[in-house]
Amino acid sequence: MIDRRKFLGTVALGTASAAFLAACGQSSSPAQTGSADNPVTITYTWWGNDDRAERTRKAIALFESKNPDIKVNGNFSDFAGYWQKRATEAAGGGLPDVMQWDLSYLRDYGQRNQLLDLGTVKINTDAFEKSLLPSGQIRGKTYGIPTSTNAFAVYYDPAKLASLGIAEPDGSWNYKEFNAFLTEVGQKGNGTLFGSTDYTGVWWMFNIWLRQNNIQAFTEDGKLGFTKDDLKKWLNMTSELRGTGAIVGEDKVTQLLPKSPFGSNVTATEVTWDNFMAGYLADSGAKDLKLVPVPSDDPDNLGLFLKPSMLMVASAKTKNKDAAARFIDFMVNDPEVGQIFKTSRGVPASKTQRDGTTFEGTDKLVVDYEKSIEKYLKDAPEPPIVGFGTLESTFKRVAQDLNYGKLTVDGAADAWFKEAEDLIKQNA
Amino acid sequence: MTTMATPTQPAPTKPPAAQVYNPKSESTAVKRIKSTIFHVVALALVAMVLYPALWMISASFKPNSEIGGANNALLSANFSFDNFITAMEGIGGVSTLTFFTNSLILAVGAVVGTVLSASISAYAFARINFPGRGLFFGMMIATLLLPFHVVIIPQYIVFQQLGLVDTYVPLLIGKFLAADAFFVFLMVQFMRGLPAELDEAARIDGAGHVRIFGSIMLPLMKPALISTSIFSFIWSWNDFLGPLLYLNTPEKYPLPLALRLFVDQTQSSDYGAMIAMSVLALLPVLVFFLVFQRYIVEGVSTQGLKG
Repeated sequence: MIDRRKFLGTVALGTASAAFLAACGQSSSPAQTGSADNPVTITYTWWGNDDRAERTRKAIALFESKNPDIKVNGNFSDFAGYWQKRATEAAGGGLPDVMQWDLSYLRDYGQRNQLLDLGTVKINTDAFEKSLLPSGQIRGKTYGIPTSTNAFAVYYDPAKLASLGIAEPDGSWNYKEFNAFLTEVGQKGNGTLFGSTDYTGVWWMFNIWLRQNNIQAFTEDGKLGFTKDDLKKWLNMTSELRGTGAIVGEDKVTQLLPKSPFGSNVTATEVTWDNFMAGYLADSGAKDLKLVPVPSDDPDNLGLFLKPSMLMVASAKTKNKDAAARFIDFMVNDPEVGQIFKTSRGVPASKTQRDGTTFEGTDKLVVDYEKSIEKYLKDAPEPPIVGFGTLESTFKRVAQDLNYGKLTVDGAADAWFKEAEDLIKQNA
Repeated sequence: MTTMATPTQPAPTKPPAAQVYNPKSESTAVKRIKSTIFHVVALALVAMVLYPALWMISASFKPNSEIGGANNALLSANFSFDNFITAMEGIGGVSTLTFFTNSLILAVGAVVGTVLSASISAYAFARINFPGRGLFFGMMIATLLLPFHVVIIPQYIVFQQLGLVDTYVPLLIGKFLAADAFFVFLMVQFMRGLPAELDEAARIDGAGHVRIFGSIMLPLMKPALISTSIFSFIWSWNDFLGPLLYLNTPEKYPLPLALRLFVDQTQSSDYGAMIAMSVLALLPVLVFFLVFQRYIVEGVSTQGLKG
């Protein structure tokens, strides 16, 4: 995993020197245009595995054949290394022209003027859900265009439920029913199969629960929108399940790393993003997995939303704004690009691209799930506050300590709030 | 390492005189018991140390879904070479052989550069009495105290402005300029242990610094040079952060970068292929170590000797 401390340190240092450099040499280079004989070259960088590298190579080749005046140099690294490298490049003023981006880092780089305001260039966003676009915007400026979406879901393995003689859930459940379901799995699983990991330890599930209760996680000015009592109430939701078969013990979870308990066939369900499907299938070797909506005590408000699973951004210092914009437009809108990536980036965000793609098997499951929850979807939250990554990992850590029995619910809430308030003060 | 073999040698015994009380034979028995206990303990420790390696090798032959997680068995019924085939196919159109070649270029470059530059600098510090020698020596040692992370960004900016990003220059130039203070220090200490009379004699015979360095010092420093080569080879072979920051084109990536590309948190991870490639990546280092290992011990032990 990425070392947040190290990353933050690098960024802090980076911005200091970047500001210095920016002050020294404010060179305004003229926009370059290319022709088929003399193409301009832009660089595009992404994170991902060898499978994504192969797909992206195909997409780039297609773009180059359609746009002979632009050449794209692609390069890639793994997720953790990706952000170390970006932090260093941002400091040196050498960010690549176009980058694949993650929502958690959008505000950090956007506020520091490292990213190009994509509202100033021509990118077609007509085919996008209007509720999705704000997630790439900060204070009215568009820094990122979502390539694809993911939504929160409950995964389950039908084969495992069948072997225990438990009926498959239909996804219309409240928290009490969900807990009862997990307990039943735990009892019948008899120590070899558990219900799930502790869902109260998942930040986004908490965020969804807040939305179900009409509370915003963060206010407009980047402060916490909920109280300590809300958090305590949330952490108490599973207080009777911890230590039973309904929730897999934290020591077991740690033993299974780097795989998840669900991917290791130790739990029957898991609460997470729907684009983890391919990973779970590969890790567990299960024949098929299914998705249903998260529980809610208000059947009309599931608190669900589409989140950009990744975005496309451009460097503020790019010399080829026009070429960069054309490449982004192509990557998010072109139906043939959809055919190349399928759902490996998430479900295509642009309707043109989604409609132009044929989904089969696993891909279809994920797309169908997102279609089935369409009527419950509300606006995506704004890009997370600066330092959100730290808050998210702290959330996970205190929940772990809670499951180990090192902290009480009150202690866990206090610990998280202290860290959150310190962090928000630092970044204010 | 090599000393571990000594206790195995059976204690010298006379032909045993049967039925007669013989204190010597009893002490042989005691020795034998002691030696057995020692070996059992040593073997248990070795097993503990080698278990991760064994796990890695066994995992490289298992299908992805059986690696890690709830699977503890070392052997799988689904034994196959598929992981090695995937690993050798390369990533994103770049063949694995390219990654190997790149790693080799960087590692050999690092060895050559470090050995040349560190030995020359060490000669200057150990044998030439130039003004400010103490100060410069102190400054060099001080760079050892500077954490690598502090210099990442300034260094990156320098190479970025010089247009040297995405070349091997940033990764190798430091090695040719004796920037690895640790190795310079190692060699200075070694040279200080060599008798000064040798170069005084050479000077009387009319040799200059070049001659003294080339014909007297270098041959005597062989153990230190070999230790340096081994360490700089292994460090360069395993270096991840340097290549990550300075190389952009996948065709220039060395192995450590390529290894990470099989694992992706947001999609499926191919642990099998990653582990298979790790096994392959380990081989050159292992061979390098086996060939030179006796020199490591020699290098370290002779450093304590005074002329």
